[in-house]
Amino acid sequence: MFTRLSLLLAVLMFSIAALAADNQYVLGVDGLACPFCAFGIEKRLNKVDGVTDIEIDIGDSVVRVTLQEGKTLTEEQARQAVKEAGFTLRSYAEAEGGSGGRDSQ
Amino acid sequence: MLVSALLLTNSATVYAAPNTFNTALPVAKGQYVWREQLVLRQRSDDGPMDRDVSVQALGNVLGYGVTSKFAVFGAVPYFFDKELDVTLPFGRAERDTDGFGDISLFGRYTLYQNDFTGGTFRVSPVFGVTAPTGDDNDRDSLGELPRPLQAGDGAWDGVAGVVTTYQTLQYQVDAQVLYRENGRHDGFALGDETRFDASLQYRIWPRSLKGVPGTPGFVYGLLESNLIRRERDEIGSGTDANSGGTQWLLAPGLQYVTRSWIVEGTVQLPVSSNPNGNAIEDDYIVRVGFRRNF
Repeated sequence: MFTRLSLLLAVLMFSIAALAADNQYVLGVDGLACPFCAFGIEKRLNKVDGVTDIEIDIGDSVVRVTLQEGKTLTEEQARQAVKEAGFTLRSYAEAEGGSGGRDSQ
Repeated sequence: MLVSALLLTNSATVYAAPNTFNTALPVAKGQYVWREQLVLRQRSDDGPMDRDVSVQALGNVLGYGVTSKFAVFGAVPYFFDKELDVTLPFGRAERDTDGFGDISLFGRYTLYQNDFTGGTFRVSPVFGVTAPTGDDNDRDSLGELPRPLQAGDGAWDGVAGVVTTYQTLQYQVDAQVLYRENGRHDGFALGDETRFDASLQYRIWPRSLKGVPGTPGFVYGLLESNLIRRERDEIGSGTDANSGGTQWLLAPGLQYVTRSWIVEGTVQLPVSSNPNGNAIEDDYIVRVGFRRNF
């Protein structure tokens, strides 16, 4: 009985933590090939409501965007921001553990 | 007659890549790019007047992304000193000036863009004008300075060309064709200029991006080539036989590129020269500076 209760409690805590977690998205960006160019993507994505962090892995041409709880980044928003920076959105996906979005590729 | 063209600027933009000319890489919508470049330029001729010209100047450029495809730039040089040493009938004379030069405004539009993972290929027309904002009638004890020595040329000038960029994570190649038509003012016009530029930048650090997270700073080694053809200066109804010509310069250099900053330096050295008569040609041009994103 105690084991069952412990397991239930653990699952509950994990679920609450997952629900409270920030939303993270992974964007594949084509055309990005130098550090100085990466700044423009950061600048455009930072204008999206709720964005708290942006990490760019330039070697993989991948941008990781974190939004505060309850905020989402739609594929259209991501595509528009990347386009306004002068680049092309290759892929869009919600990072594992997030609560919305979908993989476009 | 005394000196040939002394133009400092060559429409170099502020964004990434080449140090001596333009690139087709984008400026994001709403993004500013600021560039400062210290230029030390030494010129001379082989004629009997034994002219030596030395220029110490700061190139100031501000760029802005109107859209992701269209960027505008404003540029103005400040001459700390623009000095001519020349042999005259009474002996050696030194003449110089300083101050702000002519303001240039130009635009660049991305006409073709092919993005792929880890790289891009772009073609962008460039067009602009230079306004006669610099002093064009400075004088010294010998009278009015020769027109090419003035900080400004006194006329509206037009610039048009095309720049193309192929960039990958490992290297970048830029090429440009640019024509500059210099206007006429008070019976004088600097010779028009046609230039063919090419640049190769190769990432030398980090040597590999495998397993490197985030966006590290890149160190590029670069080699640039500038083939410049200048027409003769127009004076009155004729031309100055000792002005203009063709010169080919090579420029090795280094760049350190981060997300927000570029620090860079190059030295342009003449490989071959074919001046008209005893026209002044470049001996060397040192360019060091930085660019800043915001």
